[in-house]
Amino acid sequence: MEIVDLKKSFGDGEARQEVLRGVDFSVKRGEFCVLLGPSGSGKSTLLNIIGGIDKQDSGYVAISGDKLEDMDEKQLTRYRRLHLGYVFQMYNLIPNLNVKENIEVGAYLSSKPLDVEEVLTTLGLQEHKYKYPNQLSGGQQQRVSIGRAVVKNPDILMCDEPTGALDYKTSKEILALIEDCNRKYGTTVIMVTHNEAISKMADHVIRLRDGVVRHNITNEAKVPASELDW
Amino acid sequence: MKNPLIKRIPKELRTDWHKYLVIIIFMVVMIGVISGMYVGHDSMLEAVALGREELNIEDGSFELKMKASPELLSAIESGERADVKQYFIDEGIREADEEVAKAIEDELRETVRGEIERAVREQCAAYGITDEDAIKSRIDAAIAANYDDAIAKARESEAFQNAAAEAFEKAHEAVIEKVDEKWDEISEEYELDSAFDAVPVTVFENFYRNEPEDAEGDGAEDATIRVFSSDSEVNKASFLEGRAPEKRNEIAIDRMHADNVGVAVGDTITVGGRRFEVVGLLSYVNYLTLHESNTDLMFDAFGFDVGMVTPEAFDSLPSRMHYNYAYFYSEEPADKVELADNADNFLKMLITQTLVNDNEIEDFIPEYLRQASNFAPSDIDSDTAGTALMCYILIAVIAFVFAITITNTIEKEATVIGTLCASGYTKRELVVHYMTMPVIVTLVGAAAGNLLGYTAFRTVALKLYYNSYSLPACEPIFSREGFVKTTVIPLALMFFVNLFVILRQLRLSPLQFLRRDLRRTRRSKARRLPAWSFLRRFRLRVMLQNISNYAVLIFGVIFIELMLCFAFGLPDSLEYYSEKAPEMMFADYQYMLMGNKDEDGGLITTGEPSAERFSSTTLKYAKSRDALFEGLGSGGDESVTVYGIEEGSDYIALPDELRKGEAYISSAFRDKFGLRAGDEITLSEEYANKSYTFTVKGIADYDGGIAVFMKNTAFNAAFDKSEDSFNGFLSREEITDLDEKNIAVVITQKDITKVTNQLMHSMGQFFWVFKIAMVVLSAALIYLLAKIIIERNEQPISMAKILGFENREIASVYILPTAIVVTASALFSFAVGYLLMIQLFKLFMLQMDGYFAFYMKPESMALSVVYLLVGYAFVSLVDFARIKQIPTDKALKNMDV
Repeated sequence: MEIVDLKKSFGDGEARQEVLRGVDFSVKRGEFCVLLGPSGSGKSTLLNIIGGIDKQDSGYVAISGDKLEDMDEKQLTRYRRLHLGYVFQMYNLIPNLNVKENIEVGAYLSSKPLDVEEVLTTLGLQEHKYKYPNQLSGGQQQRVSIGRAVVKNPDILMCDEPTGALDYKTSKEILALIEDCNRKYGTTVIMVTHNEAISKMADHVIRLRDGVVRHNITNEAKVPASELDW
Repeated sequence: MKNPLIKRIPKELRTDWHKYLVIIIFMVVMIGVISGMYVGHDSMLEAVALGREELNIEDGSFELKMKASPELLSAIESGERADVKQYFIDEGIREADEEVAKAIEDELRETVRGEIERAVREQCAAYGITDEDAIKSRIDAAIAANYDDAIAKARESEAFQNAAAEAFEKAHEAVIEKVDEKWDEISEEYELDSAFDAVPVTVFENFYRNEPEDAEGDGAEDATIRVFSSDSEVNKASFLEGRAPEKRNEIAIDRMHADNVGVAVGDTITVGGRRFEVVGLLSYVNYLTLHESNTDLMFDAFGFDVGMVTPEAFDSLPSRMHYNYAYFYSEEPADKVELADNADNFLKMLITQTLVNDNEIEDFIPEYLRQASNFAPSDIDSDTAGTALMCYILIAVIAFVFAITITNTIEKEATVIGTLCASGYTKRELVVHYMTMPVIVTLVGAAAGNLLGYTAFRTVALKLYYNSYSLPACEPIFSREGFVKTTVIPLALMFFVNLFVILRQLRLSPLQFLRRDLRRTRRSKARRLPAWSFLRRFRLRVMLQNISNYAVLIFGVIFIELMLCFAFGLPDSLEYYSEKAPEMMFADYQYMLMGNKDEDGGLITTGEPSAERFSSTTLKYAKSRDALFEGLGSGGDESVTVYGIEEGSDYIALPDELRKGEAYISSAFRDKFGLRAGDEITLSEEYANKSYTFTVKGIADYDGGIAVFMKNTAFNAAFDKSEDSFNGFLSREEITDLDEKNIAVVITQKDITKVTNQLMHSMGQFFWVFKIAMVVLSAALIYLLAKIIIERNEQPISMAKILGFENREIASVYILPTAIVVTASALFSFAVGYLLMIQLFKLFMLQMDGYFAFYMKPESMALSVVYLLVGYAFVSLVDFARIKQIPTDKALKNMDV
């Protein structure tokens, strides 16, 4: 994945705010990439542009040579459908579908989905599979949300502050799960976080500040999620 | 793999069952009522049409004074007009021959007697006999001896024969001369010079007797029953209960009359002084309404009855026989004009044939003009106009309820939709998903509604008809129009309205959904509120936050008020019209005459001082161009009564300067068609290609009918009548010195109120059902709308609970604003609904003949608001319970959904 000179601003005139001011980097297939930065650094905007749900003002994003900006709405939907899995800070589960069914919502979209039961086992949700979202804890809900994204067997897993609303222990569990998916299924992971510690588990860390890439580091000594501390 | 989102549908139905139950009940009631009305309407019209065929309804009938001879019947069947001239000549010659023969005979006898007397006197003189007595006795003796011989001889004489032949010839010539002389007059009288085409027919006996009926068995006559024999081949009856009479003491009577007077199968009644057991309740195909006479303005199902007895019983009844004959055209007329022409030609023929066959016409009615067989179907047919109007209003309400429900759902699920879109769900999949529920609910509603429509509601609709008319039994038939209006249109409407709303909502980007950024415009700053107490400001914030919801609520309440105005206003309008109708009459009595000459050809006059002559005719006013849209479209043209009023009339004041071609129109005419002074109106004859144009000079204050007034002289000039022609009397008092035979119909106050009373009798039950249905629907609609407001605020309410607000305080923040809005909008919506109803009612009246304006009693106005508020009071109790049930973890656990 190539991100070339990506620029994006919001508002007009005096209220104009440049969120991305020429971002360049690339992500290799199967890589665990973390977009690190404080609030307002433009990392979520960057993730949304990569995910094809927001548009840049200039520059481009290319996946295997295909530029997203050349795609129309239908092609973008197809791109997301076939290649991307999304995990948000908020779990956005469908309240009147149970755990298993919420995961099936993801499986439906894929031509090569993983086995739902296997994903439930991997995520430790077997015993909760017939529960409704409101019967689960925040961590359990986030597991379901990861399951929904992973079951598609996507090429890229987009995670936007997946642990932002979770406690320390649960956060580590969730990170371990994402790590597992990356390793087990070879899924490329792009994760947005403001948590410095999380960057240690990544292959590739992009540090953003004020809309530009301050550091683009390849992590030589990855730390497993279970050993992270903050 | 099936889309797993589909699994949400049954779950959503289960979770929100009360909401969907209300919507489905709403739809089932609406669709059921409308479907029932259409099915009832179509089934009944089909039954009537089928009955006309199967029960052999006539093309017309005539009654003769005496039983028709076989010659007369075959002459009538030929359809040819009789040779009236020859008849008059033959009659004249017959009379002349009798007179001449008598004169010749008298002359002959006188002459022979004179001759004998002269010869005897001459003989006596020769013998010197002078005594007169002796001479007279000889004369008598001579006459006795020779008279007959002499008469015989004289008859044989050439002179006599010549003289007689000459006298006959002269008399015959005189007869022909006289017939020729008077031919113009005769031609005019029998319309012999007018165009005529022979209309061959087949004639059947359809004799009847009018007998007194005593249903109560108290010896007093309760009604007049028209009794027919059970062996009649034409104008037969269908049985709603029981069977046809088989024994001499058995009778079947009209079902409606039996219901009205409380007679059932198995009861015994007295007819013509004889006891009969009622074995059947029937509906005669030519007596769907019990009009005793075709000139009756309204039928009378209490005082008049029709019945059937066996031929033996029929022969044994005491009252005089009415020689009524039914005829059938050999060739079916192609259209209405030909139908009228045929009737016209038939009557011309009948007049001449009865004349030459020494019989007399007592009555003549072509079937298409027979009130008793046409009033009910045409009235039932006109019912659809109101049904369609109601249907359109209600369908709009359903679509509207769904649109806001869907909008609310999409708003509620914004982040889920955003996630699904981000995950690659296509818009089509989401549209299909959100469309599924309304389509399923509409399908269920339409299916259940139609099921009820074809069963229970159809029965209600039919009961309405059976309450009014003597209709035959009917089988439910598939109503194509009903199906389109109750199923196809709601489904299509639901489909397209929801598709539009959903597509509009889903136009937002996934990111906007994820951020709940659903407004297209955004205020940059919060509104500043006055320095009120905290709760008041909180309440105002809630009101401002939900301003769009309240706009939707007001819109809904306007609909409800419109419906309530309809439910309250229609019976009010009828009642008001009924009460005011007598005041609306410009004369207490309107005598419409058969013609203006009596039997002897003299002008009909009366000694009644308040009587005033007038002329009138009925023409048609084309109303299709004034109907706002077709479909709701005008059934037929408006019947307009044109009056010719005497100079200086006491009843209708017309200004002196009214010139030829100018006319006044009634205020009802003005109001119905929005006419103004200076407008031109064109009125046309129904069965002839003739039209008349008048300029509206002014408005006569008359709300009782669609009428045009002009001076009688102008009337006679416009319609080619002789100068002093008239055909009726207006009078303040009853006119007692008119010959009944010359009166076509008398219209009094009673006749006007009879119509509206009958309408109230037939429709009263319907209004009651409709009112209840509207109140239930209004409560259901407010329930749905208020539910949306609470649902939208579930999280803030939950948060308020967490913060320590009590349920009562929360209710005052979230329910009170709604209560204020509902109350204020109920009053506002009543005004809007009322004004809208006035306009809609005008539109509705365009479908009908005649006119009356929409009216609501003050108490009905108040009630229409109170009903709505009472409905809301219940809803707010439910809302309060709902607020109490919102859990505190709602704000914590499900922030994202």
